[in-house]
Amino acid sequence: MRKIILQVIYCVIIRNFLRLFIGVKFENSNILMTEEQFIVIANHNSHLDTMAMMAAIPHKLIHKVKPVAAKDYFGRTKFQEKLSNYFINTLLIKRTSSSEKGGDNPIRQMIKELDKGYSLIVFPEGSRGNPEVMQPLKKGIALVLLERPHIKFVPVFMYGMGKALPKGDGIILPFTSIVKFGNAEKINTDSNKDEIILNIEQRLIALKEQ
Amino acid sequence: MEKIFRVDYFQKNNLLIVVAIIFGILIFATLLFYIIGIVNPNAKLSELKARTKSWWIMASMFILATVVNSMISYIAIAFLSFVAFRELYSLMGFRESDRRAIFWAFLSIPIQYYLAFIGWYGAFIIFIPVVMFLFLPFRFILKGETNGIIKSMAALQWLLLLTVFGISHLAYLLSLPELPNFNSGGRGLLLFVVFLTEINDVMQFTWGKLFGRHKIIPKISPNKTWEGFIGGIISTTIIGFFLGFLTPLKGSELIFVSFMVAVSGFIGDVVMSSIKRDVGVKDTGNLIPGHGGILDRIDSLIYTAPVFFHLVYYLAY
Repeated sequence: MRKIILQVIYCVIIRNFLRLFIGVKFENSNILMTEEQFIVIANHNSHLDTMAMMAAIPHKLIHKVKPVAAKDYFGRTKFQEKLSNYFINTLLIKRTSSSEKGGDNPIRQMIKELDKGYSLIVFPEGSRGNPEVMQPLKKGIALVLLERPHIKFVPVFMYGMGKALPKGDGIILPFTSIVKFGNAEKINTDSNKDEIILNIEQRLIALKEQ
Repeated sequence: MEKIFRVDYFQKNNLLIVVAIIFGILIFATLLFYIIGIVNPNAKLSELKARTKSWWIMASMFILATVVNSMISYIAIAFLSFVAFRELYSLMGFRESDRRAIFWAFLSIPIQYYLAFIGWYGAFIIFIPVVMFLFLPFRFILKGETNGIIKSMAALQWLLLLTVFGISHLAYLLSLPELPNFNSGGRGLLLFVVFLTEINDVMQFTWGKLFGRHKIIPKISPNKTWEGFIGGIISTTIIGFFLGFLTPLKGSELIFVSFMVAVSGFIGDVVMSSIKRDVGVKDTGNLIPGHGGILDRIDSLIYTAPVFFHLVYYLAY
Protein backbone atom coordinates (compact mmCIF):
# COMPACT_ATOMS: atom_id res chain seq x y z
CA MET A 1 0.00 0.00 0.00
CA ARG A 2 2.73 2.42 1.01
CA LYS A 3 4.69 1.47 -2.10
CA ILE A 4 1.71 2.39 -4.27
CA ILE A 5 1.25 5.70 -2.46
CA LEU A 6 4.91 6.56 -2.97
CA GLN A 7 4.73 5.52 -6.62
CA VAL A 8 1.69 7.69 -7.28
CA ILE A 9 3.17 10.67 -5.44
CA TYR A 10 6.64 10.61 -6.96
CA CYS A 11 6.50 8.71 -10.24
CA VAL A 12 3.26 10.32 -11.39
CA ILE A 13 2.41 13.56 -9.59
CA ILE A 14 5.78 15.02 -8.62
CA ARG A 15 7.58 13.81 -11.74
CA ASN A 16 5.07 15.47 -14.06
CA PHE A 17 4.82 18.56 -11.90
CA LEU A 18 8.58 19.01 -12.07
CA ARG A 19 8.80 18.32 -15.78
CA LEU A 20 5.81 20.25 -17.06
CA PHE A 21 5.44 23.05 -14.54
CA ILE A 22 8.91 23.72 -13.14
CA GLY A 23 10.66 22.69 -16.34
CA VAL A 24 13.09 20.14 -14.90
CA LYS A 25 14.95 18.03 -17.39
CA PHE A 26 16.27 14.66 -16.21
CA GLU A 27 19.42 13.57 -17.98
CA ASN A 28 20.72 10.02 -17.92
CA SER A 29 18.37 9.11 -15.05
CA ASN A 30 17.78 5.60 -16.41
CA ILE A 31 21.25 4.79 -15.09
CA LEU A 32 19.44 3.74 -11.90
CA MET A 33 17.33 1.14 -13.76
CA THR A 34 20.19 -1.35 -13.79
CA GLU A 35 21.30 -0.79 -10.21
CA GLU A 36 19.83 -2.49 -7.16
CA GLN A 37 21.44 -0.67 -4.29
CA PHE A 38 23.22 2.65 -4.48
CA ILE A 39 23.98 5.91 -2.72
CA VAL A 40 22.93 8.97 -4.69
CA ILE A 41 25.22 11.89 -3.89
CA ALA A 42 23.85 15.23 -5.04
CA ASN A 43 24.46 18.93 -4.58
CA HIS A 44 21.80 20.79 -2.63
CA ASN A 45 20.10 24.09 -3.45
CA SER A 46 16.43 23.76 -2.74
CA HIS A 47 13.68 21.70 -1.14
CA LEU A 48 12.81 20.68 -4.67
CA ASP A 49 16.07 18.70 -4.81
CA THR A 50 14.74 15.86 -2.65
CA MET A 51 11.53 15.83 -4.68
CA ALA A 52 13.51 15.71 -7.93
CA MET A 53 15.70 12.89 -6.67
CA MET A 54 12.70 10.84 -5.56
CA ALA A 55 10.93 11.55 -8.85
CA ALA A 56 13.93 10.30 -10.80
CA ILE A 57 14.00 6.94 -9.00
CA PRO A 58 12.50 4.10 -11.08
CA HIS A 59 9.06 3.17 -9.74
CA LYS A 60 10.13 -0.36 -8.83
CA LEU A 61 12.74 0.91 -6.39
CA ILE A 62 10.92 3.89 -4.91
CA HIS A 63 10.09 2.24 -1.56
CA LYS A 64 13.66 1.01 -1.17
CA VAL A 65 15.22 4.48 -1.32
CA LYS A 66 15.62 6.79 1.66
CA PRO A 67 16.65 10.43 1.40
CA VAL A 68 18.85 11.37 4.34
CA ALA A 69 17.56 14.56 5.95
CA ALA A 70 18.28 16.71 8.97
CA LYS A 71 16.31 15.81 12.08
CA ASP A 72 16.53 19.36 13.41
CA TYR A 73 14.67 20.55 10.31
CA PHE A 74 12.30 17.81 9.21
CA GLY A 75 11.74 16.22 12.60
CA ARG A 76 11.10 19.25 14.78
CA THR A 77 7.96 17.65 16.17
CA LYS A 78 6.98 13.98 16.47
CA PHE A 79 4.12 14.58 14.02
CA GLN A 80 6.37 16.21 11.43
CA GLU A 81 8.82 13.33 11.80
CA LYS A 82 6.06 10.78 11.20
CA LEU A 83 4.83 12.71 8.16
CA SER A 84 8.21 12.97 6.48
CA ASN A 85 9.07 9.37 7.31
CA TYR A 86 5.82 8.23 5.72
CA PHE A 87 5.55 10.46 2.68
CA ILE A 88 9.19 11.19 1.87
CA ASN A 89 10.56 7.96 3.32
CA THR A 90 13.27 9.96 5.04
CA LEU A 91 16.10 8.77 7.21
CA LEU A 92 16.40 11.58 9.76
CA ILE A 93 19.85 12.24 11.18
CA LYS A 94 21.15 14.75 13.69
CA ARG A 95 23.34 17.31 11.98
CA THR A 96 24.89 18.55 15.22
CA SER A 97 26.16 15.36 16.80
CA SER A 98 28.25 13.77 14.11
CA SER A 99 31.08 12.98 16.53
CA GLU A 100 28.80 11.25 19.01
CA LYS A 101 29.23 7.50 19.48
CA GLY A 102 26.43 5.01 19.80
CA GLY A 103 23.03 4.45 18.23
CA ASP A 104 22.35 8.02 17.20
CA ASN A 105 25.56 8.43 15.22
CA PRO A 106 24.47 9.38 11.68
CA ILE A 107 27.18 7.24 10.08
CA ARG A 108 25.92 4.16 11.98
CA GLN A 109 22.33 5.02 11.09
CA MET A 110 23.12 5.17 7.39
CA ILE A 111 25.10 1.92 7.45
CA LYS A 112 22.23 0.22 9.28
CA GLU A 113 19.79 1.22 6.53
CA LEU A 114 22.20 0.08 3.84
CA ASP A 115 22.48 -3.30 5.56
CA LYS A 116 18.69 -3.56 5.53
CA GLY A 117 18.87 -3.23 1.75
CA TYR A 118 17.83 0.39 1.42
CA SER A 119 19.47 2.80 -1.00
CA LEU A 120 20.24 6.32 0.19
CA ILE A 121 20.04 9.83 -1.20
CA VAL A 122 22.48 12.19 0.48
CA PHE A 123 23.24 15.85 0.10
CA PRO A 124 26.74 16.13 1.58
CA GLU A 125 26.78 19.92 1.31
CA GLY A 126 24.79 19.78 4.53
CA SER A 127 22.48 22.71 3.95
CA ARG A 128 20.97 24.38 0.92
CA GLY A 129 23.11 27.49 1.26
CA ASN A 130 23.07 30.34 -1.22
CA PRO A 131 21.23 29.52 -4.43
CA GLU A 132 23.42 27.77 -7.01
CA VAL A 133 26.65 28.08 -5.01
CA MET A 134 28.32 24.79 -4.15
CA GLN A 135 29.72 24.41 -0.65
CA PRO A 136 32.49 22.05 0.51
CA LEU A 137 31.22 18.51 1.10
CA LYS A 138 30.92 16.97 4.55
CA LYS A 139 33.13 13.95 5.15
CA GLY A 140 30.52 11.59 6.64
CA ILE A 141 29.51 10.03 3.36
CA ALA A 142 33.12 8.96 2.73
CA LEU A 143 33.10 7.07 6.04
CA VAL A 144 29.91 5.28 5.05
CA LEU A 145 31.36 4.33 1.67
CA LEU A 146 34.57 3.08 3.31
CA GLU A 147 32.57 0.83 5.64
CA ARG A 148 30.48 -0.60 2.79
CA PRO A 149 32.78 -0.43 -0.26
CA HIS A 150 30.68 -2.85 -2.34
CA ILE A 151 27.89 -0.27 -2.65
CA LYS A 152 28.11 1.99 -5.69
CA PHE A 153 27.68 5.72 -5.51
CA VAL A 154 25.93 7.81 -8.17
CA PRO A 155 26.94 11.48 -8.44
CA VAL A 156 24.11 13.83 -9.41
CA PHE A 157 24.45 17.46 -10.32
CA MET A 158 21.42 19.70 -10.20
CA TYR A 159 21.14 23.17 -11.60
CA GLY A 160 18.29 25.65 -11.50
CA MET A 161 16.06 24.47 -8.68
CA GLY A 162 17.75 26.85 -6.30
CA LYS A 163 16.16 29.56 -8.42
CA ALA A 164 12.79 27.83 -8.62
CA LEU A 165 12.52 27.58 -4.83
CA PRO A 166 15.46 29.23 -3.04
CA LYS A 167 16.13 29.04 0.67
CA GLY A 168 14.07 31.52 2.61
CA ASP A 169 11.39 32.11 -0.02
CA GLY A 170 8.01 30.45 0.01
CA ILE A 171 7.03 30.95 -3.62
CA ILE A 172 7.77 28.31 -6.22
CA LEU A 173 8.49 29.81 -9.64
CA PRO A 174 8.98 27.69 -12.73
CA PHE A 175 12.62 27.75 -13.77
CA THR A 176 14.20 25.61 -16.46
CA SER A 177 16.36 23.25 -14.43
CA ILE A 178 18.50 20.24 -15.10
CA VAL A 179 19.27 17.08 -13.15
CA LYS A 180 22.29 15.23 -14.50
CA PHE A 181 23.10 11.70 -13.39
CA GLY A 182 26.66 10.43 -13.53
CA ASN A 183 27.59 6.77 -13.87
CA ALA A 184 27.50 4.49 -10.84
CA GLU A 185 30.91 3.74 -9.45
CA LYS A 186 32.53 1.87 -6.58
CA ILE A 187 35.09 3.60 -4.44
CA ASN A 188 38.76 2.73 -4.52
CA THR A 189 39.21 0.85 -1.22
CA ASP A 190 42.81 1.98 -0.90
CA SER A 191 41.95 5.65 -0.67
CA ASN A 192 41.25 7.55 2.52
CA LYS A 193 38.20 9.67 3.26
CA ASP A 194 39.69 12.92 1.97
CA GLU A 195 40.57 11.33 -1.35
CA ILE A 196 37.06 9.90 -1.66
CA ILE A 197 35.47 13.29 -0.98
CA LEU A 198 37.83 14.91 -3.48
CA ASN A 199 36.91 12.28 -6.07
CA ILE A 200 33.18 12.87 -5.50
CA GLU A 201 33.65 16.62 -5.75
CA GLN A 202 35.52 16.23 -8.99
CA ARG A 203 32.78 13.99 -10.40
CA LEU A 204 30.15 16.59 -9.49
CA ILE A 205 32.12 19.41 -11.09
CA ALA A 206 32.71 17.28 -14.20
CA LEU A 207 28.94 16.77 -14.47
CA LYS A 208 28.38 20.48 -14.06
CA GLU A 209 30.75 21.35 -16.87
CA GLN A 210 29.69 18.54 -19.17
CA MET B 1 -17.60 13.04 -27.16
CA GLU B 2 -19.01 16.00 -29.05
CA LYS B 3 -18.08 18.20 -26.16
CA ILE B 4 -14.44 17.24 -26.40
CA PHE B 5 -14.03 16.85 -30.15
CA ARG B 6 -15.45 19.00 -32.87
CA VAL B 7 -17.16 16.52 -35.13
CA ASP B 8 -17.99 19.19 -37.69
CA TYR B 9 -14.33 19.04 -38.62
CA PHE B 10 -15.12 16.26 -41.03
CA GLN B 11 -17.74 18.34 -42.78
CA LYS B 12 -15.25 21.11 -43.42
CA ASN B 13 -13.35 19.97 -46.45
CA ASN B 14 -11.01 22.96 -46.42
CA LEU B 15 -9.50 22.05 -43.08
CA LEU B 16 -9.39 18.38 -43.93
CA ILE B 17 -7.47 19.05 -47.17
CA VAL B 18 -4.81 21.04 -45.35
CA VAL B 19 -4.42 18.45 -42.61
CA ALA B 20 -4.01 15.82 -45.32
CA ILE B 21 -1.40 17.98 -47.09
CA ILE B 22 0.56 18.51 -43.84
CA PHE B 23 0.64 14.81 -42.99
CA GLY B 24 1.42 14.02 -46.63
CA ILE B 25 4.49 16.26 -46.54
CA LEU B 26 5.63 14.81 -43.23
CA ILE B 27 5.20 11.21 -44.38
CA PHE B 28 7.02 12.05 -47.61
CA ALA B 29 9.93 13.67 -45.74
CA THR B 30 10.18 10.81 -43.25
CA LEU B 31 10.19 8.17 -45.99
CA LEU B 32 12.62 10.19 -48.11
CA PHE B 33 15.20 10.46 -45.33
CA TYR B 34 14.66 6.82 -44.40
CA ILE B 35 15.32 5.68 -47.98
CA ILE B 36 18.31 7.99 -48.43
CA GLY B 37 19.65 6.58 -45.17
CA ILE B 38 19.44 3.02 -46.57
CA VAL B 39 20.83 3.86 -50.01
CA ASN B 40 23.66 6.02 -48.71
CA PRO B 41 24.51 5.20 -45.08
CA ASN B 42 27.16 7.94 -45.01
CA ALA B 43 24.72 10.79 -45.67
CA LYS B 44 24.53 13.24 -42.78
CA LEU B 45 20.84 13.02 -42.03
CA SER B 46 20.66 13.22 -38.25
CA GLU B 47 19.83 16.95 -38.28
CA LEU B 48 17.18 16.59 -40.98
CA LYS B 49 15.69 13.54 -39.27
CA ALA B 50 15.54 15.37 -35.95
CA ARG B 51 13.91 18.34 -37.68
CA THR B 52 11.30 16.10 -39.26
CA LYS B 53 10.59 14.54 -35.89
CA SER B 54 10.04 17.95 -34.34
CA TRP B 55 7.70 18.87 -37.22
CA TRP B 56 5.63 15.80 -36.46
CA ILE B 57 5.23 16.95 -32.88
CA MET B 58 4.46 20.57 -33.81
CA ALA B 59 2.01 19.58 -36.53
CA SER B 60 0.19 17.10 -34.30
CA MET B 61 -0.04 19.68 -31.53
CA PHE B 62 -1.56 22.39 -33.68
CA ILE B 63 -3.84 20.08 -35.61
CA LEU B 64 -5.04 18.65 -32.32
CA ALA B 65 -5.61 22.19 -31.12
CA THR B 66 -7.92 22.76 -34.07
CA VAL B 67 -9.77 19.46 -33.73
CA VAL B 68 -10.52 19.46 -30.04
CA ASN B 69 -12.98 21.60 -28.19
CA SER B 70 -11.89 25.18 -28.39
CA MET B 71 -11.32 25.58 -24.65
CA ILE B 72 -8.62 22.89 -24.83
CA SER B 73 -7.05 24.70 -27.80
CA TYR B 74 -6.73 27.89 -25.76
CA ILE B 75 -5.13 25.94 -22.91
CA ALA B 76 -2.70 24.26 -25.31
CA ILE B 77 -1.57 27.57 -26.81
CA ALA B 78 -1.34 29.14 -23.34
CA PHE B 79 0.92 26.26 -22.30
CA LEU B 80 3.11 27.00 -25.31
CA SER B 81 3.43 30.61 -24.13
CA PHE B 82 4.16 29.44 -20.60
CA VAL B 83 6.99 27.14 -21.70
CA ALA B 84 8.46 29.80 -24.00
CA PHE B 85 8.34 32.41 -21.23
CA ARG B 86 9.91 30.01 -18.74
CA GLU B 87 12.72 29.02 -21.10
CA LEU B 88 13.60 32.56 -21.95
CA TYR B 89 13.41 34.10 -18.48
CA SER B 90 15.50 31.27 -17.05
CA LEU B 91 18.30 32.23 -19.40
CA MET B 92 18.24 35.93 -18.68
CA GLY B 93 19.63 36.08 -15.18
CA PHE B 94 17.04 38.06 -13.27
CA ARG B 95 17.89 39.24 -9.78
CA GLU B 96 16.85 37.37 -6.66
CA SER B 97 14.62 40.31 -5.75
CA ASP B 98 12.69 40.08 -9.04
CA ARG B 99 10.93 36.88 -8.06
CA ARG B 100 7.68 38.52 -6.94
CA ALA B 101 7.33 40.51 -10.14
CA ILE B 102 8.10 37.40 -12.20
CA PHE B 103 5.38 35.57 -10.27
CA TRP B 104 2.86 38.21 -11.43
CA ALA B 105 4.19 37.98 -14.96
CA PHE B 106 3.45 34.24 -14.86
CA LEU B 107 -0.04 34.98 -13.57
CA SER B 108 -0.68 37.25 -16.53
CA ILE B 109 -0.50 34.25 -18.87
CA PRO B 110 -3.83 32.64 -17.85
CA ILE B 111 -5.46 36.08 -17.69
CA GLN B 112 -4.35 37.01 -21.20
CA TYR B 113 -5.61 33.70 -22.58
CA TYR B 114 -8.86 34.00 -20.67
CA LEU B 115 -9.42 37.39 -22.30
CA ALA B 116 -8.77 35.75 -25.67
CA PHE B 117 -11.16 32.94 -24.78
CA ILE B 118 -14.06 35.21 -23.92
CA GLY B 119 -13.25 37.31 -26.98
CA TRP B 120 -13.03 40.66 -25.18
CA TYR B 121 -10.87 42.33 -27.80
CA GLY B 122 -10.42 45.68 -26.05
CA ALA B 123 -9.07 44.13 -22.86
CA PHE B 124 -7.07 41.48 -24.70
CA ILE B 125 -5.19 44.05 -26.72
CA ILE B 126 -4.28 46.34 -23.80
CA PHE B 127 -3.78 43.87 -20.96
CA ILE B 128 -0.04 43.27 -21.42
CA PRO B 129 1.04 46.46 -23.25
CA VAL B 130 -0.82 48.74 -20.82
CA VAL B 131 -1.99 47.01 -17.64
CA MET B 132 1.05 44.82 -17.02
CA PHE B 133 3.34 47.56 -18.29
CA LEU B 134 2.07 49.85 -15.54
CA PHE B 135 1.64 47.22 -12.84
CA LEU B 136 4.92 45.26 -12.99
CA PRO B 137 7.20 48.24 -12.22
CA PHE B 138 5.01 48.89 -9.17
CA ARG B 139 5.63 45.33 -7.95
CA PHE B 140 9.34 45.81 -8.60
CA ILE B 141 9.58 48.98 -6.54
CA LEU B 142 7.69 47.43 -3.62
CA LYS B 143 10.74 45.21 -3.20
CA GLY B 144 12.90 48.32 -3.00
CA GLU B 145 15.99 46.95 -4.70
CA THR B 146 16.87 49.75 -7.15
CA ASN B 147 20.25 48.48 -8.29
CA GLY B 148 19.61 47.14 -11.81
CA ILE B 149 15.86 47.77 -11.66
CA ILE B 150 15.58 49.34 -15.14
CA LYS B 151 17.10 46.29 -16.76
CA SER B 152 14.75 43.97 -14.87
CA MET B 153 11.64 46.05 -15.59
CA ALA B 154 12.46 46.35 -19.27
CA ALA B 155 13.48 42.73 -19.73
CA LEU B 156 10.38 41.35 -18.02
CA GLN B 157 7.95 43.51 -19.99
CA TRP B 158 9.70 42.71 -23.22
CA LEU B 159 9.62 38.99 -22.43
CA LEU B 160 5.89 39.15 -21.81
CA LEU B 161 5.33 40.93 -25.11
CA LEU B 162 7.37 38.38 -27.02
CA THR B 163 6.20 35.14 -25.51
CA VAL B 164 2.72 35.91 -24.20
CA PHE B 165 1.24 38.86 -26.06
CA GLY B 166 2.59 37.78 -29.46
CA ILE B 167 1.68 34.10 -29.21
CA SER B 168 -1.73 34.83 -27.68
CA HIS B 169 -2.80 36.31 -31.02
CA LEU B 170 -2.91 32.72 -32.25
CA ALA B 171 -5.53 31.99 -29.59
CA TYR B 172 -7.55 35.10 -30.43
CA LEU B 173 -7.84 33.91 -34.03
CA LEU B 174 -10.15 31.23 -32.63
CA SER B 175 -12.34 33.89 -31.01
CA LEU B 176 -12.88 35.95 -34.16
CA PRO B 177 -16.56 36.25 -35.11
CA GLU B 178 -18.08 34.19 -37.91
CA LEU B 179 -18.01 35.78 -41.34
CA PRO B 180 -20.58 35.07 -44.06
CA ASN B 181 -19.18 33.01 -46.96
CA PHE B 182 -16.16 31.91 -44.92
CA ASN B 183 -16.64 28.59 -43.24
CA SER B 184 -13.12 27.62 -42.13
CA GLY B 185 -13.35 30.20 -39.35
CA GLY B 186 -10.67 30.86 -36.76
CA ARG B 187 -9.37 27.33 -37.00
CA GLY B 188 -8.63 27.84 -40.67
CA LEU B 189 -6.76 31.06 -39.90
CA LEU B 190 -4.78 29.38 -37.13
CA LEU B 191 -3.84 26.49 -39.37
CA PHE B 192 -2.94 28.91 -42.17
CA VAL B 193 -0.56 31.09 -40.17
CA VAL B 194 1.15 28.22 -38.34
CA PHE B 195 1.54 26.14 -41.49
CA LEU B 196 2.78 29.10 -43.53
CA THR B 197 5.26 30.14 -40.84
CA GLU B 198 6.70 26.65 -40.54
CA ILE B 199 6.82 26.12 -44.31
CA ASN B 200 8.58 29.47 -44.57
CA ASP B 201 11.28 28.20 -42.18
CA VAL B 202 11.65 25.04 -44.24
CA MET B 203 11.77 26.97 -47.53
CA GLN B 204 14.35 29.46 -46.31
CA PHE B 205 16.43 26.55 -44.99
CA THR B 206 16.14 24.56 -48.21
CA TRP B 207 16.85 27.46 -50.59
CA GLY B 208 19.76 28.51 -48.41
CA LYS B 209 21.24 25.00 -48.41
CA LEU B 210 20.85 24.64 -52.18
CA PHE B 211 21.89 28.04 -53.49
CA GLY B 212 23.13 30.03 -50.48
CA ARG B 213 26.18 32.15 -51.33
CA HIS B 214 25.80 35.66 -49.93
CA LYS B 215 25.41 35.93 -46.19
CA ILE B 216 22.68 38.26 -45.02
CA ILE B 217 23.63 38.91 -41.36
CA PRO B 218 26.71 36.78 -40.65
CA LYS B 219 27.20 38.12 -37.14
CA ILE B 220 23.87 36.81 -35.94
CA SER B 221 22.97 33.87 -38.09
CA PRO B 222 25.81 32.59 -40.29
CA ASN B 223 23.53 30.15 -42.14
CA LYS B 224 21.12 32.80 -43.38
CA THR B 225 21.73 33.88 -46.96
CA TRP B 226 20.13 36.28 -49.42
CA GLU B 227 19.35 33.35 -51.70
CA GLY B 228 17.54 31.50 -48.91
CA PHE B 229 15.69 34.65 -47.86
CA ILE B 230 14.45 35.59 -51.33
CA GLY B 231 13.74 32.02 -52.41
CA GLY B 232 11.88 31.46 -49.14
CA ILE B 233 9.75 34.58 -49.52
CA ILE B 234 8.77 33.79 -53.10
CA SER B 235 7.86 30.16 -52.41
CA THR B 236 6.03 31.01 -49.19
CA THR B 237 3.99 33.69 -50.93
CA ILE B 238 3.03 31.23 -53.67
CA ILE B 239 2.10 28.51 -51.17
CA GLY B 240 0.14 31.06 -49.14
CA PHE B 241 -1.76 32.08 -52.25
CA PHE B 242 -2.84 28.50 -52.91
CA LEU B 243 -3.82 27.92 -49.28
CA GLY B 244 -5.92 31.08 -49.36
CA PHE B 245 -9.15 29.10 -49.04
CA LEU B 246 -8.36 28.89 -45.32
CA THR B 247 -8.71 32.67 -45.02
CA PRO B 248 -11.41 35.17 -45.93
CA LEU B 249 -8.85 37.07 -48.06
CA LYS B 250 -8.81 37.29 -51.83
CA GLY B 251 -6.29 38.05 -54.58
CA SER B 252 -3.80 40.81 -53.90
CA GLU B 253 -4.69 40.96 -50.21
CA LEU B 254 -3.79 37.32 -49.88
CA ILE B 255 -0.48 37.76 -51.67
CA PHE B 256 0.38 40.74 -49.48
CA VAL B 257 -0.47 38.90 -46.24
CA SER B 258 1.51 35.79 -47.26
CA PHE B 259 4.45 38.00 -48.19
CA MET B 260 4.30 39.73 -44.81
CA VAL B 261 4.15 36.37 -43.00
CA ALA B 262 7.28 35.27 -44.86
CA VAL B 263 9.21 38.47 -44.11
CA SER B 264 8.17 38.69 -40.46
CA GLY B 265 8.92 35.00 -39.97
CA PHE B 266 12.47 35.66 -41.06
CA ILE B 267 12.76 38.65 -38.73
CA GLY B 268 11.42 36.64 -35.77
CA ASP B 269 13.92 33.91 -36.48
CA VAL B 270 16.95 36.23 -36.50
CA VAL B 271 15.75 38.29 -33.53
CA MET B 272 15.57 35.09 -31.51
CA SER B 273 19.01 34.04 -32.78
CA SER B 274 20.48 37.29 -31.56
CA ILE B 275 18.97 36.71 -28.12
CA LYS B 276 20.42 33.24 -27.99
CA ARG B 277 23.81 34.63 -28.91
CA ASP B 278 23.55 37.24 -26.17
CA VAL B 279 22.73 34.76 -23.40
CA GLY B 280 25.27 32.33 -24.83
CA VAL B 281 23.23 29.23 -25.61
CA LYS B 282 22.66 27.46 -28.85
CA ASP B 283 19.52 25.56 -27.97
CA THR B 284 17.06 26.87 -25.47
CA GLY B 285 15.74 23.63 -24.03
CA ASN B 286 14.80 20.13 -25.03
CA LEU B 287 11.04 19.80 -25.12
CA ILE B 288 10.96 19.07 -28.83
CA PRO B 289 13.88 16.98 -30.12
CA GLY B 290 16.26 18.03 -32.86
CA HIS B 291 15.79 21.69 -32.55
CA GLY B 292 16.49 22.03 -28.92
CA GLY B 293 13.99 24.23 -27.21
CA ILE B 294 10.44 25.12 -27.94
CA LEU B 295 11.56 28.68 -28.54
CA ASP B 296 13.58 27.54 -31.51
CA ARG B 297 10.41 26.26 -33.10
CA ILE B 298 8.14 29.17 -32.31
CA ASP B 299 10.66 31.98 -32.77
CA SER B 300 9.17 32.93 -36.13
CA LEU B 301 5.61 32.61 -34.79
CA ILE B 302 6.38 35.31 -32.23
CA TYR B 303 6.50 37.74 -35.15
CA THR B 304 4.12 36.18 -37.65
CA ALA B 305 1.21 35.67 -35.23
CA PRO B 306 0.59 39.36 -34.40
CA VAL B 307 1.47 40.57 -37.92
CA PHE B 308 -0.92 38.10 -39.54
CA PHE B 309 -3.64 38.70 -36.96
CA HIS B 310 -3.71 42.46 -37.32
CA LEU B 311 -3.52 42.36 -41.13
CA VAL B 312 -6.45 39.94 -41.30
CA TYR B 313 -8.33 41.84 -38.63
CA TYR B 314 -7.93 45.05 -40.61
CA LEU B 315 -8.62 43.61 -44.05
CA ALA B 316 -11.48 41.20 -43.33
CA TYR B 317 -13.16 41.95 -40.00
